[in-house]
Amino acid sequence: MSFLNNLFNKRERSAQVAKERLLTVLVHDRVKLTPEKLEELKAELSAVVARYVPEAEPAEIEVTLLRGESSDMLKADIPLRRSRHDE
Amino acid sequence: MARVITITSGKGGVGKTTTTANLGTALAMRGARVAVIDADIGLRNLDVVMGLENRIVYDLVDVIEGRARLRQALIKDKRLPELFLLPAAQTRDKEAVTPEDMIALTNQMRPDFDYILVDSPAGIEGGFRNAIAGANEVLIVTTPEVSAVRDADRIVGLVEAAEKGPPRLIINRINSRLVNRGEMLSMEEVVEILAIEPVGVVPDDETIVISTNRGEVAVFDQHSQAGRAFVNIARRVAGEDVPLMAFTDQQGVLDRFFGLFGRKAR
Repeated sequence: MSFLNNLFNKRERSAQVAKERLLTVLVHDRVKLTPEKLEELKAELSAVVARYVPEAEPAEIEVTLLRGESSDMLKADIPLRRSRHDE
Repeated sequence: MARVITITSGKGGVGKTTTTANLGTALAMRGARVAVIDADIGLRNLDVVMGLENRIVYDLVDVIEGRARLRQALIKDKRLPELFLLPAAQTRDKEAVTPEDMIALTNQMRPDFDYILVDSPAGIEGGFRNAIAGANEVLIVTTPEVSAVRDADRIVGLVEAAEKGPPRLIINRINSRLVNRGEMLSMEEVVEILAIEPVGVVPDDETIVISTNRGEVAVFDQHSQAGRAFVNIARRVAGEDVPLMAFTDQQGVLDRFFGLFGRKAR
């Protein structure tokens, strides 16, 4: 896709790029969550989730800081294995 | 009693000193009694931007350390009899001033003026702390660049932590052609990112370079778009309701045309 974009010289406008980069950087600046702390949080979170949801994939958990419309968010994505125990 | 307004930015080189000189002059042109204080100890600049560098005898540190009375150190503007400059010390070490000194100084000056503008040094260290110490209000200057906006965000946090109330924003050096092409952050985008109230937008304008070369201030120049933008900022600071983006009526037809496609409607 980026190949096509380059081919037709239709790169994303730099103002949009600037805005997205700024939003990401500012959330991290504001929350002051270091990468180490984020890893710790993930480890504890997976332990808790595993206790309640056996289908969870602890190794696949992703925690990200996001800029929301009205407030910033700490978002955790916890993928679940498809299980068919109920059938 | 004067309102003490500090002009600051975080990042250097975004136009704090130019803003202070133009805003102070524009307020004085409206008939207000104005003092501008150069709080960038060791890096004196506001005097040359205002063209008053040859008149300096005493400076801010001389006043604080008691070698000169305030009245002796204040330099009267070349044109406006109610505009005064208190210059920064050029050689002295910047540890000479404390936040308490700045509070005492601004308190001493308050009864004699309507506005006291404090030109802050860049950074978030002692000089910045001194500059906001005596302030009732803070104006943050930024340019539409990622580094300047990021630093402005830090300053917003520090100003709020110092309980100076919500700072207001001046966006300097907007190039409307680049904005319309989607290659520069717009006023709306910067305001959305920083989430503080804008008090003005100043176009990128070569008349600023020329007037600064001459030691004149752009607000005197009828043909300067930036000068007009600063006059509008002064009106808003004084409480008038002036719509933002007044300068975009200078856009060319093509800019407007492409602007229709390049970004959201205002």
